[in-house]
Amino acid sequence: MSQKIVIDPITRLEGHGKIDIFLNDQGDVEKAYFQVPELRGFEKFAEGRPAEDMPQITPRICGVCPMAHHMASTRALDDLYKVDPPASAKKIREMVYSAFMIEDHALHFYFLGGPDFVVGPTAPKAERNILGVLGKVGLEVGKKVIGMRKELRELIVLAAGKVIHPVFGLPGGVAKPLKKEDQEKFIEGADNAVEFAEFSLQVFNDIVLKNKEYVKAIVSDTYTHKTYYMGLVDKNNKVNFYSGDIRMVDPNGKEFAKFAPRDYLEHVAEHVEPWSYIKFPFLKKVGWKGFIEGADSGIFAVAPLARLNAADGLATPKAREACDQYFKTLGGRPVHHTLANHWARLIELLYAAERMQELANDPDIIDPQPRTIPVNIPQEGIGVVEAPRGTLFHHYKTDNRGVIKKANLIVATQNNAARIAMSVDKAAKGLIKKGKVNDGLLNMVEMAFRAYDPCHGCGTHSLPGQMPLILRIYDNHGVMKHEIRRE
Amino acid sequence: MWVETRFLEETWFLRPKLLRRYGQTRLAAGYYGTGIMKTLLLGLGNDLITDDGAGIVAVQELREELKGLVDVDIEESSMSGMALLELFLDYDRAIILDAVHTNRHPPGSILEWSPEDLDRIISPSPHYAGLPEMLAVASELQLNFPEEIKIFGLEVVDPYTIGEGLSEVVREAIPALKQKVIEQLEKWRNEVA
Repeated sequence: MSQKIVIDPITRLEGHGKIDIFLNDQGDVEKAYFQVPELRGFEKFAEGRPAEDMPQITPRICGVCPMAHHMASTRALDDLYKVDPPASAKKIREMVYSAFMIEDHALHFYFLGGPDFVVGPTAPKAERNILGVLGKVGLEVGKKVIGMRKELRELIVLAAGKVIHPVFGLPGGVAKPLKKEDQEKFIEGADNAVEFAEFSLQVFNDIVLKNKEYVKAIVSDTYTHKTYYMGLVDKNNKVNFYSGDIRMVDPNGKEFAKFAPRDYLEHVAEHVEPWSYIKFPFLKKVGWKGFIEGADSGIFAVAPLARLNAADGLATPKAREACDQYFKTLGGRPVHHTLANHWARLIELLYAAERMQELANDPDIIDPQPRTIPVNIPQEGIGVVEAPRGTLFHHYKTDNRGVIKKANLIVATQNNAARIAMSVDKAAKGLIKKGKVNDGLLNMVEMAFRAYDPCHGCGTHSLPGQMPLILRIYDNHGVMKHEIRRE
Repeated sequence: MWVETRFLEETWFLRPKLLRRYGQTRLAAGYYGTGIMKTLLLGLGNDLITDDGAGIVAVQELREELKGLVDVDIEESSMSGMALLELFLDYDRAIILDAVHTNRHPPGSILEWSPEDLDRIISPSPHYAGLPEMLAVASELQLNFPEEIKIFGLEVVDPYTIGEGLSEVVREAIPALKQKVIEQLEKWRNEVA
């Protein structure tokens, strides 16, 4: 008889998630699954609507990363109308996007991922929470985090409208120019953000890197997978969140492919599993070989760890230095340790702050005409950005009036889904032995999951657009024995 | 009742009457001094997922109906947990409207909670860090946070299907939900008075 342990819902996770762990007769893990019970169907919902509405509709898909959807959608409209926005518009967009990346990464490090490392993986459950983090880093730091996020959100509002409903991206540019006085506020906010990011890296250094046990956990085999990595890069192959080409590196860190976003379908396909609603993207040219790692398996990863692996470094000085230290400490590129995502996230936080600083100081940013009016007939548009949680694709096909005929969205967590599934399974197998299961071990299984900062709010898009709740029970051969469906 | 309250800002000439109605102290403190008691009215949910948008629909309507009230700010959000924290800063009171799906009450029922009713111990929640955790953080950091928070949950039929618009029974309950908000605002005003 196999036993079943369910961690449901996964604590501190964005959206809803579920992990099922099956034990065999010996009490060892037969298989662990992560499940996405949420089904949304936004792609169908989009059909028949004007493409121009998409930058307003898609941020409402999920409350977690509205700005990433707004930006991917806006870039898809640029491509749809074949219009090149003026330099100033691109800079305003990237500056605002950088502010969003900073506040989102800060939220994850301190509030969601922080309890794992800042408080400690084996600390009692009652302490592994935000209050535990505050206890460890001090109340002043807590106030600093909240103050920083508030300042960034206010800046985003100045340039882009509400944080949850941004309205500034239009095909060909942005809705309004940036005022001189607002530019000054962005400069000040960016300066504060750089300081905040450096401080956060120092916190990580002091609390995590100086603790041998934590470092041992990061580099342990339990949390390691050798996969391909994906990320957007600029023309110098440096990380870029807002635009560029998609670069893939193989498990040895060698460039495997580099392509324009509009060619993504030549490189990425999606695999369907009977036990999950999520479609698992994989590298078409390598193929789907199951949930296995290595160069022969098409599974790839996105998000901070993957972005640093997929690029040749970062374009800003302080972040570049932090990135060099990261690779040096973790044994060179690529880094395959899932938990290193937390460190990589903070390095990206610093990069985003420095990039925001560069752009805020750019004289172009207050150009009074930040838009090129589109004149071409729409047909097909693809927009790709790096969301905090990884590469995000928006792909629309329209009629010649710009009404959506077909929409395809591949969201970050979906791109990471196969590797997340492997991480959960491997951590469960590595940590749970002979039926010995306790709270600390279960947390360490969940840590494998949380490092990706997964969000399932918009991870699934299948029809029929209804979210049934289904409980499936598998025997110790992975065969589904029962299904309970809530209509 | 709301007709009276919405004139607070717009019609100076009504103030003597309102002073009698709400009490001199409250209005003097609230509208002529610096000690204005600010209330956040927050609608939570996603208006693209049918009934999940009930709280959003209610605050959107109230935004029109309470237009002109200087002491109430109306916000809507599809976020949850700690991501909402900044919204509450510097308010004295807050009202939260949300769709709930307990399956224990007939659809259209309005449920009321105060933070004391919610578990202040951090618990695993689908929203990873809910209101109790947020309040605990605010208290720990001594943030300027609402001293009073009232939560009104509207039991809904279907918060899962993609689409715009509410179920009929939920739609019909929106006026009652709005009335709860009006009554709560009144109650707070009278308490101070």
